[in-house]
Amino acid sequence: MRIELDRPRCEGHGLCEEAAPKLMHLDDDGELIIDVPEVDGADLDAAKAAVRVCPVAALRLAAA
Amino acid sequence: MTAPTESDIDIWDDDILVDPYPTYAALREQAGVVHLPKNDLYVLTRYDIIRDVLGDPSTFSSTTLGFNPMVNEALQGTSLASDPPVHTQLRATLSENLTPRALRGLKVTIDEKADKLVAELVASGSFEAIDSLARAFPLEIVADLIGFSGHVKDNMLRWGQAAMQVIGPLNHRTQESFPIAGELYGWCSSVTGNDLTPGSIGRGIFDAETRGDIPEGSAGHIIHQYLGAGVDTTIASIGNIVALFGRHPEQLQLVRENPELVPAAFAEVLRYWTPLHIWGRTATRDAEIDGVTVPAGAQLGILLGAGNRDGRHYENPDVFDVTRNPVDHLSFGYGPHGCAGQGLARLEGHAIVSALARQVQSITISDEVRVPSNMTRSIDQLQVAKVVAA
Repeated sequence: MRIELDRPRCEGHGLCEEAAPKLMHLDDDGELIIDVPEVDGADLDAAKAAVRVCPVAALRLAAA
Repeated sequence: MTAPTESDIDIWDDDILVDPYPTYAALREQAGVVHLPKNDLYVLTRYDIIRDVLGDPSTFSSTTLGFNPMVNEALQGTSLASDPPVHTQLRATLSENLTPRALRGLKVTIDEKADKLVAELVASGSFEAIDSLARAFPLEIVADLIGFSGHVKDNMLRWGQAAMQVIGPLNHRTQESFPIAGELYGWCSSVTGNDLTPGSIGRGIFDAETRGDIPEGSAGHIIHQYLGAGVDTTIASIGNIVALFGRHPEQLQLVRENPELVPAAFAEVLRYWTPLHIWGRTATRDAEIDGVTVPAGAQLGILLGAGNRDGRHYENPDVFDVTRNPVDHLSFGYGPHGCAGQGLARLEGHAIVSALARQVQSITISDEVRVPSNMTRSIDQLQVAKVVAA
């Protein structure tokens, strides 16, 4: 699966980073960087958790 | 098509507004969506259903988020009451100065103000927590943010309360509050950048309007939404922090021993006692929710606090547990209309939880005094009879 970010909608709340620190992080400007866009296995669970906690629904998982 | 089941309660009954949780539990057990003929309303009661509806703005429109026609008319053209795609730009303009990245510079100031205020209260030995902390703190933060002082600051509490109250149905509370909400609207329509402190975010919004970065006339609307939405709800959550730590000393102790629990503790306060009672949507077509059909044009009432106590989603939902870390609670809503001020609310809430955890060993509180309110469930008075410094 592939993590997709709706960048205009992302406001940098950072809850996704806490849920999946290996897959994404907020950079020094507070912009979200997806470090590992293609995920499977254990990473997929973390990615799902990150998608789930985004308060503004800016993340989604799509077929790779 | 199966119609939703009914209940004959009035969701704005005084007793329900003061203590809604037994009613929430009964409605939630009855069904995920319940028709309330007395309120001409379909209420949503379960976590998953509420999240799905909030995440589907094309089926569930925000154009009638309020519960009377006058307020819905007044809110037309705001981010709050619009749907994508129009909503997208309005929201970006509204939230640009409220995102965590925009607010990063404020964290130190907010933490310092919280520490100082809590230190003064702890030193006093006993205090009334709502006026002296729950109201004083966010009013000062928002006043500084927007950059005003004087008579506006003195009016903010009643303006902020009225702005929430008028979103309710046309009951006596709404009717009494319309003139006061009108004062706020009037001030926001006439204020100019020069009235606001240089360097403040409020001044910056007017500068953006002058530069043409945001549409003409929108600066006043944005200030209005900051004041209308950011005061009453934050006051509720800060009062709840004090009351819940007073009721559950072992939970305060947990945060004292584990400062990394500060964000989780604030999330749990928001989940356990949800500041917003109800929020509106309209079905744009006949829509199936939880196996029943809600007709096109139906007014929905989203019971955020009922969803936050749904045992289908949270284990032991009626237990206040600072280690739970319910990051997906519904108190900020969810999706494209998720609370635009949640970054600021978290900064304020975390600052207060952290200041209390560092400075207070225990507090003894008397029973909280509550006054019925259409939209916000908050404590009106809370006496801290004794505070033991850490």
